[in-house]
Amino acid sequence: MLLIAFCVPIVGSALIFTWGRKGKRIRRWIAILSTLATSVFVCLALFLEPGRSYVLLEFTSRMTIAFTLDGMGKVFAGLIAFLWPLAMLYAFEYMEHETGENTFFGQYLLSYSMTLLIASSENLFSLYFFFELLTLSTVFLVAHGFSHRSMYAARKYLYYTLGAASLGFLSMISVLVYSDTTTFVLGGIPALQQAPHTMMLLLFVLGFFGFGVKAAVFPLHGWLPTASVAPTPVTSLLHAVAVVNAGVFSVARLAYYVYGPTLISGTWAQTLCISMASFTILFASVKAVHEQHLKRRLAYSTISNLSYMLFGLMLLTPLGLKAGLMHMIFHSLIKLTLFSCAGAIMVQTGREYVQELRGLRRQMPIVMTVFAFCAVELVGIPPFIIFQSKWALVTAAFGSGHVMGVIGVVVLLISAGFTAAYLLKPAVTAFALPIEKKPEEKRDPGWQMLTLFFVMTAAMLALILLGKPIADYLSQVVGLQ
Amino acid sequence: MQLVQNVPFFSIMLSMVSAIVTPVLPRRAAKWLSVGMVSVVVCLHIWFLPFMVSLGGSYTYMMGHFPAPWGNELRAGLLEALIALALSIVMLLSQLSGMNKLQRQIDPPKQGLFYVMCNLVMAGMLTLTYTNDLFTAYVFIEILALSSCALMMARQVGHTMVASMRYMILSLLGSGLILIAIALTYNLTGHLLMENIRAVIAQYAADGEYALPISVIIGLFIAGIAIKCGIFPFHMWLPDAYGYSTSAASAVLSSVVSKAYFFLLVKIFYRVIGINVVMSDMALNLMLVLGVLSMILGSIGAIRCLDIRRMVAYSSVSQMGYLFAWVGLGSTVGVAAAMFHLVVHALCKSMLFLSVSPLCDASGDSKRFVDLRGAGYRYVIPGIAFTLGSLSMVGIPILGGFFSKIFFAEAAISGAGWVRITLLAALALSTLLNALYFMHTVLGLYRRPKKGFVRQPFIKSRLTAVTLSVFGFINLTIGFFAKDIINLITTGIQNFA
Amino acid sequence: MQSILFILVPAIPLGLGVWFLFTRRFRAAEVMAGLVLSFAAMIALAVTGDGMQTLFTVAPGVTFVFRSDGAGRLFALLFSGVFMAAGFYALTYFKHEINPARFFAFYFFSLFALESLCMAGSLLTMYLCFETLTLCSFPMVLYDRSREAVAAGIKYLLYSIAGAMMGLFGVIYLTLHTTSSTFVAGGSLEAELLGNPPALLLIALFVCIIGFGTKAGLFPMHGWLPTAHPIAPTPASAVLSGVIVNAGVLCIFRVIYFAAGTEALRGTWVQTALLSLSLLTVLIGSAQALRQKHIKRRLAYSTVSQISYILFGLFLLESTAAEGALLHTVFHSVMKTSLFLCAGALIMYGGTADVDEMRGIGKKMPVTMWSFAIAGVGLVGIPPMSGFLSKWVLAQGAVQSGMPVFYWLGPVVLLVSALLTAGYIAPVVLGAFFPGEQEISTRAKRAPVGMLAPLGVLAALSLLFGLYSVPLRNAIDTVLNTLF
Repeated sequence: MLLIAFCVPIVGSALIFTWGRKGKRIRRWIAILSTLATSVFVCLALFLEPGRSYVLLEFTSRMTIAFTLDGMGKVFAGLIAFLWPLAMLYAFEYMEHETGENTFFGQYLLSYSMTLLIASSENLFSLYFFFELLTLSTVFLVAHGFSHRSMYAARKYLYYTLGAASLGFLSMISVLVYSDTTTFVLGGIPALQQAPHTMMLLLFVLGFFGFGVKAAVFPLHGWLPTASVAPTPVTSLLHAVAVVNAGVFSVARLAYYVYGPTLISGTWAQTLCISMASFTILFASVKAVHEQHLKRRLAYSTISNLSYMLFGLMLLTPLGLKAGLMHMIFHSLIKLTLFSCAGAIMVQTGREYVQELRGLRRQMPIVMTVFAFCAVELVGIPPFIIFQSKWALVTAAFGSGHVMGVIGVVVLLISAGFTAAYLLKPAVTAFALPIEKKPEEKRDPGWQMLTLFFVMTAAMLALILLGKPIADYLSQVVGLQ
Repeated sequence: MQLVQNVPFFSIMLSMVSAIVTPVLPRRAAKWLSVGMVSVVVCLHIWFLPFMVSLGGSYTYMMGHFPAPWGNELRAGLLEALIALALSIVMLLSQLSGMNKLQRQIDPPKQGLFYVMCNLVMAGMLTLTYTNDLFTAYVFIEILALSSCALMMARQVGHTMVASMRYMILSLLGSGLILIAIALTYNLTGHLLMENIRAVIAQYAADGEYALPISVIIGLFIAGIAIKCGIFPFHMWLPDAYGYSTSAASAVLSSVVSKAYFFLLVKIFYRVIGINVVMSDMALNLMLVLGVLSMILGSIGAIRCLDIRRMVAYSSVSQMGYLFAWVGLGSTVGVAAAMFHLVVHALCKSMLFLSVSPLCDASGDSKRFVDLRGAGYRYVIPGIAFTLGSLSMVGIPILGGFFSKIFFAEAAISGAGWVRITLLAALALSTLLNALYFMHTVLGLYRRPKKGFVRQPFIKSRLTAVTLSVFGFINLTIGFFAKDIINLITTGIQNFA
Repeated sequence: MQSILFILVPAIPLGLGVWFLFTRRFRAAEVMAGLVLSFAAMIALAVTGDGMQTLFTVAPGVTFVFRSDGAGRLFALLFSGVFMAAGFYALTYFKHEINPARFFAFYFFSLFALESLCMAGSLLTMYLCFETLTLCSFPMVLYDRSREAVAAGIKYLLYSIAGAMMGLFGVIYLTLHTTSSTFVAGGSLEAELLGNPPALLLIALFVCIIGFGTKAGLFPMHGWLPTAHPIAPTPASAVLSGVIVNAGVLCIFRVIYFAAGTEALRGTWVQTALLSLSLLTVLIGSAQALRQKHIKRRLAYSTVSQISYILFGLFLLESTAAEGALLHTVFHSVMKTSLFLCAGALIMYGGTADVDEMRGIGKKMPVTMWSFAIAGVGLVGIPPMSGFLSKWVLAQGAVQSGMPVFYWLGPVVLLVSALLTAGYIAPVVLGAFFPGEQEISTRAKRAPVGMLAPLGVLAALSLLFGLYSVPLRNAIDTVLNTLF
């Protein structure tokens, strides 16, 4: 079942590349059908086939490409499956205003497949394998339009990810050398516990930065803001949801399922990683306040939030993992919506800068309301969902007993204050300030984009109530209950 | 003695005979004879390889029924068979692919001679692979040097003259060093047949005598081959040489000639000096250092290039550096990884050179990056081939280069102390650098052309397209056979000594 | 019955707010009915006595709970009452606006948030309501959509959120380290922490109080107050200065007395620091008020100063001082609201906001100025006004507390501040009634009854409380007995 789920997007992508040129309708139908079908299959796989693993290819006895859907994988895969069809729908409308639809959708579908493959990798080798392939399938999306800026952004993205991936490569190889297998085991691969300690720590840190480049941890965060020149469906889905979450997911796998908390906890490696994450949180928040371009501001906000997740993960307690995953889910929803709002604004009114948002409520009431709602959510005001994930993060931090935990809490709170500054402020000015006197016609986007907004808002509201069941499920996943 | 065991001899004979016959043939016949010969060699080796696998060991082959040490010997083993097969395939595909370009770039009277040189290169490569004595090795080193020089000069443009002159001088310098080393060896041991030499040296090593001369010999061999392969700091000739000759020539030079030299070096380590002696020798560190420096500096040189062929040439410097460094590591795993990469790189680099040429044609015959923008759309198949090659060099999963990286890393980790860290760091850094220039170029291929670009008509060759497709396919699928290949190599190494 | 009331009391203003947000036609009667209804519901709840109601659980350990106790009821009744008065005033004030429904929407939302805050039964619920209050009240600040208003509103918003985050730090720490998840009179901090308080506890408490003190204008988080209060429309300024600042007070009150417990703070550097800060704010506020020409800004700075009287009393951790603090909460609320409403009338019908231009205005607007005078005198603290009573009790409390330095410093500062208060209130009043030879402002006219009634009633109340405050004092004593 799972294999079908992977193949459908690849097949769909191939179909688009070959037939898509025939016409817009065919292309769009293929795209949306593939996406929906995949999502359906993923959901089926989630519910019907827990815990089965498949081996696809065997390169050597120790290096295999294999898949399974364990708890964490299910969470990630489920999230992706939910978000991708919505984003695809949004992209349809957005791409009306751009060219080169065919290659775009083909690659969009391909990236879906790659992300799913990452989510369901059964061992570190497969994870690395598809991690690299994900980079490849997304780079041309970033370069879409092939303008000077897009190419620069694509190059930067490539250099950062490929370069850092070589660090992840080293980490993976070391695992291969010291143990017979790279299969994920909750709590760490046993053979590695016996290996020389310092070496393991060093390799873990390399892996953290290597895989963490996709999660934009300082100092490897530079590609994300630059990549925001890409068309919004790309930035929103890939760089706020799929690619970056793949990075966080990989780090989680590395920390909890390969090296294991017992190995890393309390060492300099943990302190280093947590400090980096905390620093990134603050740094990115500050930069977001200064940044005037809306999408880049959201990009910095993403960087900051990703480091919340990394911070939670690096607490190396089950609570920390749970908090990090919670934040991953909730943040994806919100950030996807925020970017989609930004994209709708850009497409309908051509405004890209924060100052231009003033008084936009008159022209785009629905979009700005959604934007304001998401802004309020992201700050972390109870009872909205981000408060729940931040609460989980804070509780985990205090409970870990690590001094960095307390500092991290302070950082989180300060950053929340900054979030208010950089998100709530434009939201408020959009509503409050009047614009020029001449009456503007309403220019809300079309039904496809609006579907995204409505569904996401509904989801966010629903999650306020459903937050507890999700939290419980996650506790189960991380082995708490 | 089965018929199939004669394959090494047949192959060499065929190449030499073709080389002799070709000059008198008219141009077209020469071309087809050459191609035909290489195809036959390929087929022979395809027949040969399974036999070697089943044989499970190696055997020696006397030439002319004169026993050693007066006669010549060939020795055929699994590793040699594999290398010969791979390099022959490269040769065949390079010739086919570059044929049309060749016809345009080389003066018609000289084209026949070009094929003669190709045949000589083939002969040289095969002999160096199979030979079992130093004298023959030296003779064919010189043959290779001269014929590769001639290959370079076949395209008579100002640059190539200068480049081949430079190559000639440096190559002769390298050969000179090797000659000195051989002379020293002969002086020390009194033999020219590899096994005999090794026995004597092993004796010396056990007694602890002549440690310094042996080190010097090893060092000289390393230096000589390094010059010929274009390792830092002897790489100055390489970018010009590869950059200006015709595409088939560059492919052959980078993928067949250098590899043959390198393989000879490894063979010398194993069969002449004895790998145990070599591995405990300080001179091996020289190899390691030179290799690492080449890896990094070659890539840096590539980044600074403005012209695509020079970039690919510098990349060759870098990749040869990998080979040197990992043999310099001083472990069997390292040698196995290097051999694997030899095969992968041979297949990949030739494809890169061969695809650059059509792309340049499609861009108004210019090699500069700015002119190449959008070439991937103008001429699809070479674009895809180049992309595949680049991805392989960077080490993207599925492709062959990824598995090289894995094997390299595994070998490096099993090293000791600072060696391990240096090699791993160099591997990581080199990957990043490779990504920088290869990806930049690949992305450039798919950009919009610069303003004012006029799309000019160019000649599309179906042969080139087909050959490149085959090449691409091989590169794509080699990853799936990595396991088998590395097993073959490891078994081969065991029987190598 | 009580559980229904728990839901009903916040639901009424919430519902009304939503209604006003979306309605097209605006009728004054709806507002009046709503205000009265809210107040009535609150009284009903107050009558039912103590109780608790769990609302919903978000995560293990994160439950939102309502609770009715003496302190909460006191604050809630005060808030609802003042809101009612200002609300009536607002009806007349906005008569000339096209569609003031939006204002009233957020007015009711603020009321909803305030009532919920008073009923909050745990730290988390309180924090939730605090944030909600910020979100509901800042739109009132930027009502007139001018650049300055929006900037002021955003400043308020950001300061408040920053303060909330600081408060959250303490809330989290306390939630994790208290034995009871709901408020307990006297605090429920874990016993081992009390004997030898760890630095983290003290820091958390300090940061927390400063954070919640943002709403109360405690230095150094007072910066938003003088900007936001004046620029809001007068009814909003009035509730901001008169009521919403007390929300901050309530939060601090809850944190110190119902969550952490006085023993956690007594004698620590935190207490000393807080006392110093509050006194400093008192002086700064009064001094700055003197320099202001714009009457609403003057009153805003006055609020900064006066609220810190209350905080000073609370920080002394002593029952008489706390009594003084709570008394002053009530009195100041009534007085300041009245003052602001008068100021609004002066601006709107007197034609000027500059105090220097208000000479002789007493002739034209007698009711307004008399109310201003009464409330102002109360603010200064002259007997028999209520203001005097609360300040006297505060001074007594300071002396009784025996805190080193503060036992005399407190009363001294209070006295100095009273003088300063006189300095900024008296000229206005005197100038209005006794203009001397100077020009009498001719543009003024009488304010309409709809505005005069509320401000007059409040002023009268401030006098009344001064004369007859026994029931109030009894109520406060009941509350304080549970704490000391």
